[in-house]
Amino acid sequence: MKLGLFLLLVSLALEAQGPVPRLAPDLKIVEASGKTTMLSAFRGRVVLFAFISTQCAHCQRASTVFEQLSHEFRDHLQVAEVAFDQDADTTAFTKRFGLSFPVGIGTSEVAHDFLGIARGERLGTPQVVVIDRSGVIRAQSERLGSPILQTYDYLRELLKALIKLQVTR
Amino acid sequence: MIDHSLTIPPMVALVFHLKQGFWLYGWPMIIGFVTILGYQALGRVVMMGAAKWPAVFALASVVSMISLFGWVTMVRFIGMIPLYGCGVGLASAMMSRIYAVTMPIHPKLKMPIIRVIWRGDAEGIQKLQQALRARV
Repeated sequence: MKLGLFLLLVSLALEAQGPVPRLAPDLKIVEASGKTTMLSAFRGRVVLFAFISTQCAHCQRASTVFEQLSHEFRDHLQVAEVAFDQDADTTAFTKRFGLSFPVGIGTSEVAHDFLGIARGERLGTPQVVVIDRSGVIRAQSERLGSPILQTYDYLRELLKALIKLQVTR
Repeated sequence: MIDHSLTIPPMVALVFHLKQGFWLYGWPMIIGFVTILGYQALGRVVMMGAAKWPAVFALASVVSMISLFGWVTMVRFIGMIPLYGCGVGLASAMMSRIYAVTMPIHPKLKMPIIRVIWRGDAEGIQKLQQALRARV
């Protein structure tokens, strides 16, 4: 009985990640050019943010979706990404996929801490986070990834809802 | 995890889940089914010995390309394996019940149509045997 309870708690702890909604921790986005932007600097706009691996096909596809959305909601939305794979060449990545938003370089520890997931836990990429204008995380991928947060149609409706919410408040 | 206080049209999520459900569960079953259907049909055409070699070559190439294309698009996670197996099983079971496939000329359309004669269709089998005997 005790062992079962212990195993249940351990499995719950392993699955744990930051709750939604919660205030987004601040994060330094350091681009390959050396340009640094704080995530908090985007406050006042809806932020579509993702931790990616430049080698992952899902991340590449999602990045093109984000680019499309960044144009569609250019007045209200800020898109940013942080690549945390080893030897990530973000310059080549942004050039190859024609991305106009900042893509920083980070570490796995930074990603885990930001997402509220214990360090060392396996992460599915991309890890997408949607932050409202007041800096509150309103949507976040599951630890092993959430395909729904990579699709154009769903993200579009989610962003529309967030933009509308901020206007009516 | 999405903040449920946000009002997002449920149709968008429903369409997403339906699409995902099809690609994860329906598609492997279709691929398994089509693969067996294709290979068994090819086997029967080859065994008949009546088809010309370019036709056999073309059919074999198309069948193998379809199945390989399906496998390439299919392998995403381990949960697809039983569904692929289910498709293979269904096609094998269906093909085991087929006695013959004929292409009689439709009396009104004046063009060949595919007609399947099932093993349980005693009358159809008898008619086919009579037609084959008459041909000899």
